[in-house]
Amino acid sequence: MVGHKKKSLTIRYIIAFLLLLLMVFPYLYMVLNSFADWSQVDRKLIPTSFTLHSYEWLLGGGQSAEPRPWIRAFFNSLIVSSGSTILMMVTGVVVAYALAKLQFRGRNFLNNAILFQMFFPAIILLVPTFLIIQRLGMYDSYWGMILPKALSLWAVFMYTNFFRAIPDTFIEAAKLDGASDWQIIFRIILPMSKSITIVVFLFLFMERWTELLWDMIVVKSDNMLTLNVLLSQMFGPYGGYPGPMYAASVILTVPIIILFLFFAKQFKEGMQFTLK
Amino acid sequence: MRAKNNNGMGWLFASPYLLYGLIFFLIPLGWSFYLSITDWNLIAPVFHHVGIDNFIKALKSPGVHAAFFVTFKFMIVFVPMVIASSLIVALVVHGLPRFKGLFLIGFFLPYLASGVVSSFIVKGFLSYNSPVNTFLRGQLGLDINWLGTPLSALLLVAVIIAWKFTGYYALILTSGFESINQEIYEAAAIDGVNGWQRFWRITLPLLYPALFTTLILSIGVTFGIFTEVYQLTGGGPNFGTNTWQMEIYKQAFQNLSAGYASAVALIASVVTFISIFIIRKFLEMWGKRNGWT
Repeated sequence: MVGHKKKSLTIRYIIAFLLLLLMVFPYLYMVLNSFADWSQVDRKLIPTSFTLHSYEWLLGGGQSAEPRPWIRAFFNSLIVSSGSTILMMVTGVVVAYALAKLQFRGRNFLNNAILFQMFFPAIILLVPTFLIIQRLGMYDSYWGMILPKALSLWAVFMYTNFFRAIPDTFIEAAKLDGASDWQIIFRIILPMSKSITIVVFLFLFMERWTELLWDMIVVKSDNMLTLNVLLSQMFGPYGGYPGPMYAASVILTVPIIILFLFFAKQFKEGMQFTLK
Repeated sequence: MRAKNNNGMGWLFASPYLLYGLIFFLIPLGWSFYLSITDWNLIAPVFHHVGIDNFIKALKSPGVHAAFFVTFKFMIVFVPMVIASSLIVALVVHGLPRFKGLFLIGFFLPYLASGVVSSFIVKGFLSYNSPVNTFLRGQLGLDINWLGTPLSALLLVAVIIAWKFTGYYALILTSGFESINQEIYEAAAIDGVNGWQRFWRITLPLLYPALFTTLILSIGVTFGIFTEVYQLTGGGPNFGTNTWQMEIYKQAFQNLSAGYASAVALIASVVTFISIFIIRKFLEMWGKRNGWT
């Protein structure tokens, strides 16, 4: 009986491992092909001969092609994603604090408005939001990419639910000691919200980092493109140069994977909490 | 006195939402309605009011018809696919005594992929001289143009998106499995319940809340497909993968018909809203009738 159990467990580990291998295979394929000799790119399941040629070509340009601003695009992505994520976190915490912990007339109305807006199909807003950004003079700028994504209804929703579970007695005690609402947020609420903050941060950052549609329509000049948009634009024209495209894909994907793995443990714990 | 004070603080702290809701929800919403009855082309200073002409044109257009049906085709293909794959992952992983967290984190990694990158990988992997196609041609005599037929293109896009979401939904389902009390299984084993009955009578009903969440999330995904389609097919072949977002993007930013695109977006919103509402109600009824909720 015990032996049977042990054996079936081993089989389960093997199945789990093979499944995982299948799921991460596209990543392995991408990384290996970015280092593969150009004669082997997309020609072999697992390349055997490796070179840095694709990266050199990507960043330095070939004999017949001008190099594209890949490094600049990487930093554009970093600026836009960080700026947007930080704003979404700050607005999320502040609005959620009001909705969960402050008594004021109209609070229920705001709660319902946010829920309604969350389930409202956002596609209808695409064209007029573009026009608003244009009228505000933010077309082709960082602000044009950041501002329409400066508040996340999902972040407000998550934080509101989390803050509601924090007992009011903590806050009332602090208020009696003369603490202001800002101090309560920074000294009491946020230190208790570490796990959810990591979950919210990671989801917002990942989503912003891989955004295509908005960043594509609101930016025109080469120097303002995010990495994802630049990669998308090169999709067709670089068709004959898949090696460098894989290299660019690695540059886009690896940083976000490292960021995620860095916080993976806290992410797992936070998710367990939010899924309860 | 104190209540009045609090009113002020409440609105002050809620003000980021008020500002955002005004500039990026209410104003664009109204503007969208207005645009939909004009023939504005996004650039020219002159435009005309055309009444409901845009809506009539949209309801007759093959692009809009395609978007309506393609969304449901994606739903039929993608939702069972992603539920099955995430259920398999959750079933395999949830009982592991060690490394469970590590596995779940590994399975989550595809969620981090940009749709541009995954589209590119798939395109390369299935290019004419790729090992897969060389094998299929050489060994089986199959010459498949993966993006060339509406059905295979649709399947391919569905697979890419299912790959992305499997680990995320598996995380939700795993926590659903873990909320099931093991004693119930032990009691059932004593009563002689077999594996199949155990799944239908115990696991599924108790898993229903987590399953409901993943179903609703995955159905929501099918109404917002853009990147993979834009990258791989442009909505083709023969409108076979033309989603709402793709149609609206094409009309607004390639054909520059801002007025017409707004009308299409309005139709898309209504269809999305009603569809999700009906599906949600149906799922809730299904759960209630079986006594799962």
